[in-house]
Amino acid sequence: MIEAQALSKRYGGTVAVDALSFAVKPGQVTGFLGPNGAGKSTTMRMIVGLDHPTSGTATVNGRPYRAHPDPLRQAGVLLDARSVHKGRSARGHLLALAHTHGIPATRVEEVLGLVGLEPVAHRRAGGFSLGMGQRLGIAAALLGDPAVIILDEPVNGLDPDGVLWIRNLLKDLAAEGRTVLVSSHLMSEMAVTAEHLVIVGRGRLLADTTVAELIARVAVGTVVVRSPDATALRDALTATGAVVTGVEPGLLHVTAATAEHIGDVARAAGIALHELTPRRASLEEAYMELTGSEVEYR
Amino acid sequence: MRLTFPRVLRSEWSKLLSLRSTWLTLGVMAVVTVGLAGAVGYGVHRSVLGGGGAPDVARAVSAGFLPVDFVVLVVGVFGVLQMTGEYGTGSIRSTLTAVPRRWPVVCAKAVAQAALTVPLMTVVCLGSFLVCQAFLGADGASLGDPQVPRAVAGAAAGLVLTGLLGLGVGTLLRHSAGAITALVAAMFVGPALLGAALPADRADDVMRFVPTVAAQAMYSVDGSGNPFKTFSPAVSALVLAGWVALLLLAGTLVLRRRDA
Repeated sequence: MIEAQALSKRYGGTVAVDALSFAVKPGQVTGFLGPNGAGKSTTMRMIVGLDHPTSGTATVNGRPYRAHPDPLRQAGVLLDARSVHKGRSARGHLLALAHTHGIPATRVEEVLGLVGLEPVAHRRAGGFSLGMGQRLGIAAALLGDPAVIILDEPVNGLDPDGVLWIRNLLKDLAAEGRTVLVSSHLMSEMAVTAEHLVIVGRGRLLADTTVAELIARVAVGTVVVRSPDATALRDALTATGAVVTGVEPGLLHVTAATAEHIGDVARAAGIALHELTPRRASLEEAYMELTGSEVEYR
Repeated sequence: MRLTFPRVLRSEWSKLLSLRSTWLTLGVMAVVTVGLAGAVGYGVHRSVLGGGGAPDVARAVSAGFLPVDFVVLVVGVFGVLQMTGEYGTGSIRSTLTAVPRRWPVVCAKAVAQAALTVPLMTVVCLGSFLVCQAFLGADGASLGDPQVPRAVAGAAAGLVLTGLLGLGVGTLLRHSAGAITALVAAMFVGPALLGAALPADRADDVMRFVPTVAAQAMYSVDGSGNPFKTFSPAVSALVLAGWVALLLLAGTLVLRRRDA
């Protein structure tokens, strides 16, 4: 469980995070979404105490992160920037972190295996590719077997295999009852990974919602109907309260009616249908509409 | 599996030992120091042969520790890099996420660095002394001479403390280039300018508080060998230790306050 209460961060005159309040619940993947510069990374850094909030609080499992006697077992974090000494091997890096909490060396080997870095664990991390660096960061986040996992743009630099691997990993971690917060600036990525979304723009909360709610909320579903007898169909549908707009001869866009309803009406009126396609507003569209006015850098 | 200070210490110890640069820096520093001590001993020996007169114990000892005055900078920079290296590579974020209260990191780094440098600097200073005296032969001092074991220990302690001074400066300033510049300025440039600028009667009062001067006074046998009137070795050690404590404390306070 992560809770932010009126969390704010100002750098001089710039407001990076503006009175952000949200809760991230266990057992599901929560996407932390927003355009670049929306304050996602700063918020994550404040949650684990790397940055001090100007005002407001953030707690992990009911306490400020730093107040826990075993921080690494409470939360594991991957930040977007590199967090490894270039001269140290992957194994050496993880061992040093493990020592702080008395985590056994066998756990280090376990997470190395989990992220697939065993073959290069002895190599200096300075020579790692971006993708390998991300895997090492994820290994570090999982090291303490934490109840809360916070990953900042984890798919950055990963190949398609890696992206798929992350998606499944996140879902598995959530299924184990952990709290999983993943940031991204790509709705398409979150749409297939997250169930819950916290959307921010310019440091402010834009939406705290589920993926399904977001779709329902932002755009009305349209059904595309093609018929050789479009005019008759339009009249029949309008009579039942549907809103119909003609796009081109033989093609209608129908709102305020389900595909089932349209099919039934057509059958009752003896009208043939050549196409009946429910068109859902894409998450991408919903997201763009939400954040359109909140993009800091274009 | 809780966070405890001994565990943070073990972590910092493993971080210190798992970097190739630790071994490279300290190894080269040890070899160069002992080698230079031999060269100085040889030089003094040649001047004796040339009719320069045999050195007394104090001069023979300070000849052996002449290289220490220079490699002290290497040790100071080594200390700086223990902290600034973490900022430069970003590993500080991992470190402070694991130890969010932060102050144990500075303490553990200091203890780990001391644990490594105390035996190493003792060996280096003992080696420098013995190699230098070997070149001096009969004119050299021996470990049996009064004050000599204390001078060897003082030279080693001066190096160890200067390394910790570097750690404090690095913690305070966090950027390698800035911290190293500050360290060089505080240890060499500042004192040189200060020594020249101050009136002679005031110079002694001020200069003996300079870390480099204090470190030199720590291996002095009879207070000679330094252009300034210094404190006794014991008081000089306290002066240097005071600087170390002050900078580590200031560094820790700043580290706790700022965003990582």
